[in-house]
Amino acid sequence: MVIVNAGERHPSPNVVLIALGIVMLCAVWLLGVVSVAPNRIVPGTSYPLVAALGMPGALLVTLLLGAMTALALRPARIHYLAMLLLLVMVLLLMPFGLMVAGHFLIDPALPQARLGLGAAYWTLSFVLLLYLVELRLRLAIKRLPTALLLVAVALAWWLCARLWLDDLALVQEFQARRGAFFSAVGQHVLLVGVAVGSSLLLGLALALAMHRFHRLRKAGFALLNFLQTIPSLALFGLLLAPLAWLGANVAWLGNLGVSGIGNTPALIALIAYSLLPIVRNTFIALQQVRPDTLEAATAMGMRGHQRFWQVRFPLALPVLIEGVRITTVQAVGLTAVAALIGAGGLGTFIFQGLGQAAMDMVLLGALPIVAMALIADAALGALADITRHGGAS
Amino acid sequence: MQARGAVSIPRAWPNWLPAFGFAALLGLALFGMELLEPFFRWVEPDARSVIYARASFVDLLGRHLLVVGAAGAVTVCLGLIAGIAVTRRYGRDFLPLAGQLASIGQTFPPVAVLALAVPALGFGTPAIIVALMLYGLLPILRNTLAGLDGVDPALKEAAIAMGMTPRQRLWRVELPLAAPVILAGVRTSITINIATAALGATVGASNLGDPIIAGIINANMAYVIQGALLIALLALTVDSLFDLLEQQLRHRPTD
Repeated sequence: MVIVNAGERHPSPNVVLIALGIVMLCAVWLLGVVSVAPNRIVPGTSYPLVAALGMPGALLVTLLLGAMTALALRPARIHYLAMLLLLVMVLLLMPFGLMVAGHFLIDPALPQARLGLGAAYWTLSFVLLLYLVELRLRLAIKRLPTALLLVAVALAWWLCARLWLDDLALVQEFQARRGAFFSAVGQHVLLVGVAVGSSLLLGLALALAMHRFHRLRKAGFALLNFLQTIPSLALFGLLLAPLAWLGANVAWLGNLGVSGIGNTPALIALIAYSLLPIVRNTFIALQQVRPDTLEAATAMGMRGHQRFWQVRFPLALPVLIEGVRITTVQAVGLTAVAALIGAGGLGTFIFQGLGQAAMDMVLLGALPIVAMALIADAALGALADITRHGGAS
Repeated sequence: MQARGAVSIPRAWPNWLPAFGFAALLGLALFGMELLEPFFRWVEPDARSVIYARASFVDLLGRHLLVVGAAGAVTVCLGLIAGIAVTRRYGRDFLPLAGQLASIGQTFPPVAVLALAVPALGFGTPAIIVALMLYGLLPILRNTLAGLDGVDPALKEAAIAMGMTPRQRLWRVELPLAAPVILAGVRTSITINIATAALGATVGASNLGDPIIAGIINANMAYVIQGALLIALLALTVDSLFDLLEQQLRHRPTD
């Protein structure tokens, strides 16, 4: 082999972690750490590190991040573990930094005043996530412990937010519409669940039909590809008019709740988008089962439906779940757009917030959507792994 | 891996026909929307006006294309450079992180990226261009990595044995072989961006999403249909152009 394994030698510094460390140090010193606004509409004024945390706080942050960077100069397993520890410490200290900033900067005489997260906080969270990903690869940590670690950190943040962070704009926004928030989350999950569930049933039937009837294949995939190409906003829009007409003119459809605005067009569009990934993956999964495996099943005396349910289907399952994963993540995002045609869900906060120029409300809608997509991705990815190891081989 | 377009439609007709057809329909919709006025009048008998007139459709299309094009140009350059850099020897250390980043980024919904960009950058066209750039970068980066990774190592060694310099190997062997996969990434990125740009109408960036949003707010279905029709035709035109390009790439002569 000609390729040189330069990275295998032990003491060479980990350039990736050093670069990430330097980015974080620059971010906390050069970008605004927090912003303070007198009320929810006026944009806040941003404060740098020393003003927000005081000199001791600024030194502590610099020390922690500097140590993380310095440890990366001599990478060994023990140093990586120390970096992981420091990373968790920084993550846990982040809400406390906000408390300190609130104490320094919020005037108690102004009850409407609120603390916003500055660019440094966002950059730091994002780069810390990258840092964790790199550490995870170096230490070969599995998916589950990493997920548990993140859940623990999220719980700690939630607890801090509930107990001490009343100044934080996001918390104030949440407390102002606690009921609406939870019902929007419920509605979002319900819409995604119903859309993915029904497109799974429909998609399975369609994929099986395509598997059996060759003629259906090309037309089916052409139609689904075509649907997937049409932008979501346009598809929602194009469904509004015919459904409004049907709801108004066909009595029993109207009684079922079919109308131009609301859940019906949202669900139809969501199902239409979800069909392609599910049908494609199911079809590929069914096709890729090796013919000799099926012959072996026949030789063992299995009947047609036994062969399908006991051999072909379990072998196809991981790829099928992969399709469900792609579909679910996609549906979480598309459901947010559906809020524009009155389907409800977390998108309502995004678009109302944009309309009122209330950015904290936008965040209140967008952050849970991102969290939901990440959770769905992780959970279904883990499920696919389990079926892969349990089923085949 | 993107399988978009992997199942090709059987074509008895010439392969440029879909692109040409959709482009012709788009042109017709741009300039001949008035011809459909009786239809829109039937849809909205009570509305004061049934053809969106706050801006000409050509203007809206131009702004839509400007946003998608500007973001697309930057993302293609950045994605390619980043993808190439982390697969060279000097950037190898960053490869696992870049791969993970590209796959995590796919789970961020485009609407959420747009919504998160606005608080940081304010309302208007710059915010949406940056949001599109952030989101469009990842499919290109992922497919560049996948495409370069998929090049047969034996071919790379053969290129070394032939005495090619690293630069020659990149331009004459690796990039041409990875091109179809990279192009598929660009196609995904642009298609998603055309859809996401339409949402820019909600953050004050005027484009083809405008008639839809205005129609929803004023309960005027005619506006909604006009906007939806134009966006759908634009998306289909661009997508079929990429399809055409992919076929050209697949059938190019091997030398």
